[in-house]
Amino acid sequence: MTDRASFLAAIRSTPRGSDPGLLDRSVAPDAPTQLRDGEHRADRLQAEAESVSTVVHRVVATEVGATVVGVLVAAGAQRIALTEDLAPFADAVREAATTAGLSVVGYAEAASKRAQAGALDATVTGCLAAVAATGSIVTAASGAGRAGALIAPNHVCVVRDDQIVDGLHELFDGDVLAEAGSIFALQSGPSRSADIEKVLILGVHGPGNAHVVIVAPD
Amino acid sequence: MSATREDVGGTPLPPGWAQPAHQPDAFEISTTTFEQRATETMARPFARRAIANATDHAAALTTARFVGIDHDALRDKARQIRAHAIANLPDYLDQWIDAAEAHGTIVHYAADESEARRIVAQICRDEAVTRVVKSKSMASEEVSLNSALEAIGIDIYETDLGEFVVQAMGDRPGHVIAPILHRTKDEVHALFSTMAGRELPNEAEALTAFARDRLRHAFLTADAGISGGNFLIAETGEVLLVTNEGNGRLTTALPKIHIALVGIEKIVPRRRDLAVLLPLLTGHGTGQQITTYVTMVAGPRREQEPDGPERMHVVLLDAGRSALLGGEFEEALHCIRCGACQNVCPVYRQVGGHAYGWVYGGPIGAVLTPLFRGQVEGGELAHATTLCGACDDVCPVKIPLHDLLLGLRRRRDEEGCVPRSEQLAFALWGQVWSRPLLYRASTAVARGSLRVIARDGVLSAKAPLLRRWTAGRDLVVGRRRS
Amino acid sequence: MTDDAGVSTAVQLFPTCLGDVLARQTVDDTERVLTALGISHSRPSGTTCCGQPAFNSGHDHPARAVAKATLRALDDGSDEPILVPSGSCTSMVRLHWRELFHGTPEAEGALRVARRVRELSSYLAEHTEALRALKPTLAVRVGYHDSCHMLRELRIKEAPRQVLATIAGVELIELASSERCCGFGGTFSGRYPEVSVAMADAKIDDLEFAKIDVLVSSDPGCLMQLAGRMSRQETPVRAVHLATLLCEALA
Repeated sequence: MTDRASFLAAIRSTPRGSDPGLLDRSVAPDAPTQLRDGEHRADRLQAEAESVSTVVHRVVATEVGATVVGVLVAAGAQRIALTEDLAPFADAVREAATTAGLSVVGYAEAASKRAQAGALDATVTGCLAAVAATGSIVTAASGAGRAGALIAPNHVCVVRDDQIVDGLHELFDGDVLAEAGSIFALQSGPSRSADIEKVLILGVHGPGNAHVVIVAPD
Repeated sequence: MSATREDVGGTPLPPGWAQPAHQPDAFEISTTTFEQRATETMARPFARRAIANATDHAAALTTARFVGIDHDALRDKARQIRAHAIANLPDYLDQWIDAAEAHGTIVHYAADESEARRIVAQICRDEAVTRVVKSKSMASEEVSLNSALEAIGIDIYETDLGEFVVQAMGDRPGHVIAPILHRTKDEVHALFSTMAGRELPNEAEALTAFARDRLRHAFLTADAGISGGNFLIAETGEVLLVTNEGNGRLTTALPKIHIALVGIEKIVPRRRDLAVLLPLLTGHGTGQQITTYVTMVAGPRREQEPDGPERMHVVLLDAGRSALLGGEFEEALHCIRCGACQNVCPVYRQVGGHAYGWVYGGPIGAVLTPLFRGQVEGGELAHATTLCGACDDVCPVKIPLHDLLLGLRRRRDEEGCVPRSEQLAFALWGQVWSRPLLYRASTAVARGSLRVIARDGVLSAKAPLLRRWTAGRDLVVGRRRS
Repeated sequence: MTDDAGVSTAVQLFPTCLGDVLARQTVDDTERVLTALGISHSRPSGTTCCGQPAFNSGHDHPARAVAKATLRALDDGSDEPILVPSGSCTSMVRLHWRELFHGTPEAEGALRVARRVRELSSYLAEHTEALRALKPTLAVRVGYHDSCHMLRELRIKEAPRQVLATIAGVELIELASSERCCGFGGTFSGRYPEVSVAMADAKIDDLEFAKIDVLVSSDPGCLMQLAGRMSRQETPVRAVHLATLLCEALA
């Protein structure tokens, strides 16, 4: 059996190719995933998210519960799980959902049994961050879990305005990821496939119905 | 201390690999030729049309994606990241292993394909795995992982929709990104209806829903998830996965064991480098700004986390990669498997991925197959291109594919793998055309003969030396106007 | 000899092997065009082939032997431009001879010749004023095929179009597939004839082909491939070299 030492030794024994050096940190990536000058983060997030078929809602804090539950009811969702990272809005969502007659559980509880998690109609999560330039939400194992944002056919993510970062550059360089836990994940729109004759289908393994609720600053 | 390019004073380095990288497994040797395999695909009108349409479409999406961006500068940066990472591969791997182990990842080392199969099989035995869900992985195709696991009685479910079809058909992926590019909806419909035991609606949506249900059950009951990895981040010990369907993340989330099989060349130094590489990977792969799901995995589930596997194993795969380091073909290791070179290749456009005989098709396949599988199995592929250079112009990390292909052609000559008839023909040609007198005589003879056998300036007869040319084309000799 | 603009008006012409066997008309027509422009031209004696067929097949020894003969003929001490009516052969001499002759006694000569070779259309594009003054006229709808080596190695795309634009009556119709390889690929066309022919068809089947009378290119190799397939398919489009079209327009 090859071990670490012999594996790396075999690689080290090869001649060394030319090295152009590490890409300088000060060099902007010039990528399509950077915010353009003068753009408002929330506006770009909305535009990019909509371009990949996410439904975006712009609300103030007091409207979160009603907005989220409106989405769930419209989707015909019955069994709903809320993840830990929804915290500041969890009570409002739970209350509105219960009032609407939906059955609400915490995601940690649902996830304790795979079959139970697999039978959910919808999940409602918060996020660690959102990336304006790519229209992505960023969830972490410590908050939404690994599957919390994509196990059910419907997903609603609540994003606070102050969680939005400009682009990938800012996300990867910032310290927001420090508390992610064992996974962080970018999610941009509904699950999709075009494998069968290039016909775009939404909702393969992940949700086919993806909503982002952007909460304006107070 | 290892030698550097400077040590040898700028003269070309000796080849990084004098022998085929390793002996191919007997059962995998392709006994057919490129021409035979190409003919097979070309005989299927739908496949030809679909491949042409899909690749044209993907290439157009890629072009559109980078309008208004300094694409060339971005590609230069990506090239720099890849070249630096590969030049420092052992150091970055070392760093990655330390970081991965620090968050509980169990790292394994596979020097070749058979070791990779043994390791994964052993993990499955140790963990009492009987059912596996698998997220699309080209590395696992390289090592023929599925058949090895099936041989020890494990149920495997490919969860990428395209790969699910490939697996059920006993087929092979036809494209790095779009595995069933060459298959029709009708074929998928017939397949799924048989699996379902009833006639399903012949619509992509209903067929996708059928696969989703099947696979959902697999996700909820599998003991292990097996994935590949698009990048390994040295500074954080993370494995990055990109998918559009969500199967990658579920593979790492639901079963109690996660195993990732990743080629060592997938290393990048820092997370920040992904701000350059990710948009290029997705933009060149599918024309997307970013894929729907981008997942960075750093070890197994931690305390207080609601879900995730109990253990995460990463199998680092060499299998011919380190043998390329420092040599003429090192840049082949820069590849990020986006498939863009396939999408612009005029040969791939006609023949599809299967014609290349192994895992990778198109220009990068014509380079990697002989490098990883040796001259016997793949040497011919270097000639299965017109050297048109379209791949060089599109590659997001600027791999000089044209030069690598030319280098492989030379290598084939040096290693004596060229058919004797071709050797003799070029030797004779060299003898005659290096002497202007003989050249003039030979061209005069050629002109005279062509004039005699041509009719109205056109040669369409199957002349002995021109049979292969004139099978589908005339030779227009023309008559000189005075 | 130079004209007022400092452009050399004496040139040499390297016909290439295709020009010596199958594409003699192209070479004749190139000479006629140069004569009409008042550019004195000569053919160095003793040229054979640039070595590309063997070089691109990985056989450097015979490639070098053959190219050496051509190098000796072309490296005559003058600094006159050497015109080549083939993008592919120009690319071989200009870009790949350096590599082919690296470390040999011919290395310096190869660099000297590489600096002098000019692809024909890019040279003619510097004489568009003079061309226009000759009033070339031909009422045809033209499609242009960009040959791969000319486009992606020499990066010449506009020059042949500028030359076409000097011809009164020419309507240039840009083909969607103008940059796609025709499937010739030198020895590729003989190694994989079916694939090669299918690639030619992918160009010929271009819908816009119905709109053109003539397909023009600057590479005899591509023209041999496309004209050969069109002749077999009886496609009612002629495939001609840029020099030939220009010559017809000047007649």
